[in-house]
Amino acid sequence: MRLLQYWTMLCLLLGMSAMDLSAADSDHGVAEVTSTTELHALASGESHDQAHGEGEHHGLPPSAVPVFHLGPLVITNSMVATILVAAVIIFAAQRATRTVRAVPIGGQNFFEWLVEGLFGFLEGIMGAELVKKTFWFFASLFLFILATNWFGLIPGIGTIGWETSDGHFEPWLRGAQADLNMTSAMAVAFFVLWTVWALQANGVKGLYNHIFGNKGGGAGFMKWFLIAIFFFVGILEVVSILFRPVSLSFRLFGNVFAGENILESMLMIKGLGWIIPLPFYFLELLVGLIQAMVFMLLTAVFTLLICQHHDEDHGEAH
Amino acid sequence: MSLMPLLAEMSGSFHVGLAAIGSAIGVGLVGAKAAEATARNPGASTQIMVISIILAALAEGITFFAIFLAK
Repeated sequence: MRLLQYWTMLCLLLGMSAMDLSAADSDHGVAEVTSTTELHALASGESHDQAHGEGEHHGLPPSAVPVFHLGPLVITNSMVATILVAAVIIFAAQRATRTVRAVPIGGQNFFEWLVEGLFGFLEGIMGAELVKKTFWFFASLFLFILATNWFGLIPGIGTIGWETSDGHFEPWLRGAQADLNMTSAMAVAFFVLWTVWALQANGVKGLYNHIFGNKGGGAGFMKWFLIAIFFFVGILEVVSILFRPVSLSFRLFGNVFAGENILESMLMIKGLGWIIPLPFYFLELLVGLIQAMVFMLLTAVFTLLICQHHDEDHGEAH
Repeated sequence: MSLMPLLAEMSGSFHVGLAAIGSAIGVGLVGAKAAEATARNPGASTQIMVISIILAALAEGITFFAIFLAK
């Protein structure tokens, strides 16, 4: 059962990022972000590459670059990094748990510390019952995001590559979360699971009551008044729920993409060489951890909010 | 030199700058109050950290809406 969960998770993560077949033109919205830099570059008379929407600093292109084609699938450099990191995590976990000891040492000890620490942390937020059901998803999210964020900081990830026929440099690897397809795949996977968990915890009627229901009580005329108000509150709630995947994916993508851009821009400053980007490396190490935690915490809290029992139930329980 | 022609010449992603100011103020308030709350009640520091990270992330999200969604 647990193996099945891990595989579902993995397929969701990898499959959905692969589903966006043409990574180059799927990011139109993001490509247009650079339009101001493009204008600036045009105005200052610089030669400019439209195809990759590259800014004047020759910074990171906003969308991941295709590396090779696997039939109809376009494999971008972000996807290569994703698969690499996932393989490393799976291999390390398998290796650590190959011989399980009662008193853990080495790799097993490390993974036990990691998983138990995460479990305790999430248990404190979500409660003992819900965390057992959803821990596999949140822990995988956290470990995967943390690993990909820190993997993207290893020197050489964005700097080792090949030269295209038109004399452009393209890296073999790119931070996996610096690709909007990846972050939105995770956000959409969470959204699907959120719906499933919400329905399991509340049922259809319960879910409707949870969102649109009258939480104010009241009697007589006030009751009908409150029902109408809470119906409109429910509509707002639905809008905010629908925006969650958008904000989750943009937050992670924006932070990681901006971080990589900062590092590249700081490297461009002449004079002191590698000293200038060094403080930003520590910042990015911190951001990588915090963003992994933010993604996990936000998804966990969203799940908790919808799966929590109503106040009436609590009153009966006490 | 009057100000209006100068202002009219300015262009660029103003909405992103304004959103960044707003969310920076928001994150600053969250951080200030979180530090204050931790100082008052150090025992609750884990819960305070969780809440403040979540709220800071929500305040920060506005900037990303401004960058990527608004044209």
